[in-house]
Amino acid sequence: MASLAARRNLNKLGNMLLNIPMLLLILAPLIYTLLISVMPADEIYQNVLIPSSINLNNYSKAFTHPAYNFLTFIRNSFIVSTSVMLGQMVTCSLAAFAFAFLDFRGKKWLFILVLATMMVPGEATIIANYLTVARWGWLDSFQVLIVPYLTSAMGIFLMRQNYLTFSRELHEAAQIDGCNNPRFMASIVVPLSRPALGALGAYVFLNTWNQYMWPLLVTNSSSFRTVQIGISMLYDIDAESLGLMMAGVVIVIVPSLSIFIFMQKQLINGLMAGAVKG
Amino acid sequence: MSLTDSLKTPTAKPRTRIKKGFYATIEPYLFLLPAFTIFALFLFYPFGRTIYLSTYLTDKLGNAKVFWGLRNYTDLFSSSSFWASVGVTFQFVAIVAFGGLIVGLTTSLLTTRKYPGVTFASASYAMPVAIASAAASMAFRMILHPTNGLLNILLGTQVNWTGDPKWALFSVSMVTIWLASGINFIFISAGLRGVPDELYESASIDGAGYWRKLVSITLPSISPTLFFQIIINIISAFQSFSQIRLLTQGGPGDATNVIVYAIYRDAFFNFRFGTAAARSIILFVIVLIITLIQFSFEKRSVHY
Repeated sequence: MASLAARRNLNKLGNMLLNIPMLLLILAPLIYTLLISVMPADEIYQNVLIPSSINLNNYSKAFTHPAYNFLTFIRNSFIVSTSVMLGQMVTCSLAAFAFAFLDFRGKKWLFILVLATMMVPGEATIIANYLTVARWGWLDSFQVLIVPYLTSAMGIFLMRQNYLTFSRELHEAAQIDGCNNPRFMASIVVPLSRPALGALGAYVFLNTWNQYMWPLLVTNSSSFRTVQIGISMLYDIDAESLGLMMAGVVIVIVPSLSIFIFMQKQLINGLMAGAVKG
Repeated sequence: MSLTDSLKTPTAKPRTRIKKGFYATIEPYLFLLPAFTIFALFLFYPFGRTIYLSTYLTDKLGNAKVFWGLRNYTDLFSSSSFWASVGVTFQFVAIVAFGGLIVGLTTSLLTTRKYPGVTFASASYAMPVAIASAAASMAFRMILHPTNGLLNILLGTQVNWTGDPKWALFSVSMVTIWLASGINFIFISAGLRGVPDELYESASIDGAGYWRKLVSITLPSISPTLFFQIIINIISAFQSFSQIRLLTQGGPGDATNVIVYAIYRDAFFNFRFGTAAARSIILFVIVLIITLIQFSFEKRSVHY
């Protein structure tokens, strides 16, 4: 028996060792970014890999220097991501409620229409959307970053799947007791759907925080730019300060990574629902 | 309301009420209204508008000026740069779809057993799903830097990874594989957890080794997952933009000018919105065809 246990331990050790090259490959970009961001500038150009001392100048510059203005970018991204998240929670819950609990004419076709929207890549309609919002005079505003994303087929689908686990009898019983639909939804359905709402919220917040193409097209002034545009502009402003660029990347990644670490389960549930499109 | 009314008449049952009040009839549509308003304004309308614009010549502000029929399309189909862009896109998509799958399969196989650190390893392999493509592209810009970048330091080379036509497409593909590795890990791991343990046990009794089990049990069992994941990889690779714009700007020359980047160039550098719209419709049709292929395979081959 002892040799079996020894073999098992050896297996475990082998498994751990096998993971090291793969872990290095996946984590290297983040570790390297962090190292460069705190490295004294002259060492970057001497191609040093481990900084001899930790230098936080790049961070203070990113936050305080008016040309970089990271606090504004972060504030903008928080406003936009939070609004889109809350908006989708409301619109998707409402639509999903109709599809799951109510009977009406055209229900089947309207639901197919919702699913069909998942087949249209956003990049295929982005030019027409840009021209529309430009005609409305919406460029450089918060609403242009928020309103087009206030609903999603994936969110409706996710919430509907969740509502379908409720029994129809519960709804009928509530009606017999004189509880109308809005009240039934607010007092029973929503409180019981917190896990699904959490998944939707984490997924939508992160996706909005990470958005790049749409904010790039519709914002020009730095007062409405979001974090992802902000870091990509660091290079245009000052191609020489590589350390500053990397500090920007770290600042922008920290919120994404926090959501990932603290809401991993919800996020993965949301992702799995989101990828069922196709 | 109507429900309680109908209860008063002894013959009517709640389920078979025939007449609903006006409010009860429109109520479901009120629940749908917010979502469908957004869909109508920012999805249905621009989709129709894109088809419309693709048949017009436009001015610099994107107003349709001259009806152009299908000539935007025929011009594209007869231009070599369009086919170059399509070729680059398909190469890019193929490398990313299979590369992502291989990385995802490797990382999920490495984390199927229990051992110290497996939770950390799993979280690390899933982590790229949370990282923005723009932020990752900036990090890779440093890694791929021609004189001070990590890759050149480690290899002892001076390659201009993003500026050399030989390497540019390869470099953006590698960055995209890194970005896609998280979602590949998550789905393939979920697929692996679904393989029944009894299969492995009986194979062990028959004396099958690790690789034999991998080839004869694991891979066939998760083949539907792998197929599904390839489709997801293909569709998301077709939509890549940030890494192209931030690492190569479609260049050098047209070496990394994938379809989405070509749409962006057409519209915002050349102000040819009609051509950009035609390219958008072509992108839509390609993605649609891939989706339909997936549907038809799923109907036929969902068995283990």
